Amino acid sequence: MSALAISRGPALSRQLARLPGWMVLIVWTSAVLLPLYILVVSCFKTTAEIYANRLGLPTSWAFDNFVRAWTHADLGHNFINSLIVTGGAVTLTIVVSAMAAYPLSRYRLGWNAIMLGLFLSGIMLPIRLASVELFTLMRNLGLLDSLTGLILVYSAIRIPFAVFIFANFMRVLPSELDEAARMDGAGEVRILFQIILPMVKPAVSIVAIFTAIAVWNDFFFPLIFIFNDRYKTVPLAISVFVGQFRTDWGLVFASLAISMAPILIMYCLLARQIREGVGAGGGMK
Amino acid sequence: MINPRRTSSLRRTQQRMAVLFILPALAVYALFVLYPLAMSLWGSFFIWKGLRMVEFAGLSNFSRLFVFPSNARLYGALWHNTAWFFGIMVFQNGVGLLFAWLLFLRDRGAAFFQSVFFFPAVLSPVIVGALWRLLLAPGGVVEWALNGLGLHQGSLTVLGNSHTALGMLIAVDAWNWMGLPVLIYTAGLRQISGQIFEAAKLDGAGNARMLFSIALPLLIPALGTLTTLSFINTFNQFDIVYVMQGVQGNPSYATDTLVTYFYRLAFGAEGAVGITDIGLALALGTMLFLILSMGTLLMLRFFDRRTVQL
Repeated sequence: MSALAISRGPALSRQLARLPGWMVLIVWTSAVLLPLYILVVSCFKTTAEIYANRLGLPTSWAFDNFVRAWTHADLGHNFINSLIVTGGAVTLTIVVSAMAAYPLSRYRLGWNAIMLGLFLSGIMLPIRLASVELFTLMRNLGLLDSLTGLILVYSAIRIPFAVFIFANFMRVLPSELDEAARMDGAGEVRILFQIILPMVKPAVSIVAIFTAIAVWNDFFFPLIFIFNDRYKTVPLAISVFVGQFRTDWGLVFASLAISMAPILIMYCLLARQIREGVGAGGGMK
Repeated sequence: MINPRRTSSLRRTQQRMAVLFILPALAVYALFVLYPLAMSLWGSFFIWKGLRMVEFAGLSNFSRLFVFPSNARLYGALWHNTAWFFGIMVFQNGVGLLFAWLLFLRDRGAAFFQSVFFFPAVLSPVIVGALWRLLLAPGGVVEWALNGLGLHQGSLTVLGNSHTALGMLIAVDAWNWMGLPVLIYTAGLRQISGQIFEAAKLDGAGNARMLFSIALPLLIPALGTLTTLSFINTFNQFDIVYVMQGVQGNPSYATDTLVTYFYRLAFGAEGAVGITDIGLALALGTMLFLILSMGTLLMLRFFDRRTVQL
């Protein structure tokens, strides 16, 4: 794999020379894993036990903190809101962006480049700075305090990146693909959704993964658009918990664990795609 | 085979279909991104009463930014964002290069370490901030560990101390995003032909020499991507400050950033009474927009010119 792995000198001294490097890597690995380990074991401890026994395993694997976080602190409700918003934004972003990218990458319109440029300029735009006008707009449209409003805003923010990815993947497909289908009398909608889209599955998964991460994690827009507890998403609820349950450490640790669980599961399943996606484009945020 | 009349009717159908296909994405994007952004830039030239534009004011909002009482907040936040950017360049993108190089030199375990290093980056900054706030709190596990090792005595107040708080937030941000430079550099290193390193090795170049004289010049595009991303991210910094230090950037504005200051002006948490000042907020937003777009363009050009072609 690595070009430098070719043998030079005896194996033992080569391994010995590498020891300091391994130490550095292991130190950072523990810097990442130790806080997460403390987070996990603290979920099962009472606050008194957290103080008395910092690093050890809990005396009993009680789920009290999780139950209290889910019901008493109502994190369960926030969790469902976050799932709805994330699912809605991912679906809407994929459908409308794939639709826009299809003609922009495969038709000869004469205005492809300008329209594509308009979409791409949005990848870098600092949309947070528009939040005052966005707030007024949302209020006028009756979209404050609504999950639909969040879904629309997140989709709007993620569309530029999604159009960019879809257009890049669709452009390189052979043109015989849609021409043959057209000869057979297939409509453009069918060509897109039944022929082109299945051919660009890697693009669909890149867009889905990075949109899901960005939306699930976002805190800024719920902070300014959501006031009613019924519609709060997980990150907004967490930001309240750290102040509200300041002394109830077990509860806060358990809420953190619950809120990172879906992302953790996704990461374990898709670590390779995520690594390659980031390495290739750096198109994360 | 190709019938010209058929082709031209296909062209017309395509023009019509293209408009229909592009419209949904364009409508959502234009309504919720382009329109509010344009209106924000335009609105920064007006006097505001609450959420209502009253009259044209020229550059007066901008000049108000630079005089009392806004000037102290503005210069403080600008300085914190700048320090944050350079801190991230050294402690995240610099140390990340070392990690990437070490992983590149090893033929085993790279995927595992990359996955571990990148994991915090998929977490919400809110979760990362909340976690570190608990760990660094007085009575928290970091205080306990430092006391146990004899490195520190008594209560740990790094987040409440105006000399150390900003540094702590930068460290937490670097912990959060360390995986990004590691992934981008390793992807860049793997694109460099192995023959180049082989030749250097035969000429007797050591690992350090190969990193700085051969790999680094060829990693300019990766470094450019990272510098630009870090610039955009640090000048948009909000979540970690809000969760760990509150929207005022405590203690006594020592961790205040441009976006937390913008948020207070726009949504009413600035000063003792918490009034909003939309005109000032929009002027700050416009200024930040200019800093971000000019900075990004200059950086892209700078790194583009220094890209080594082989």
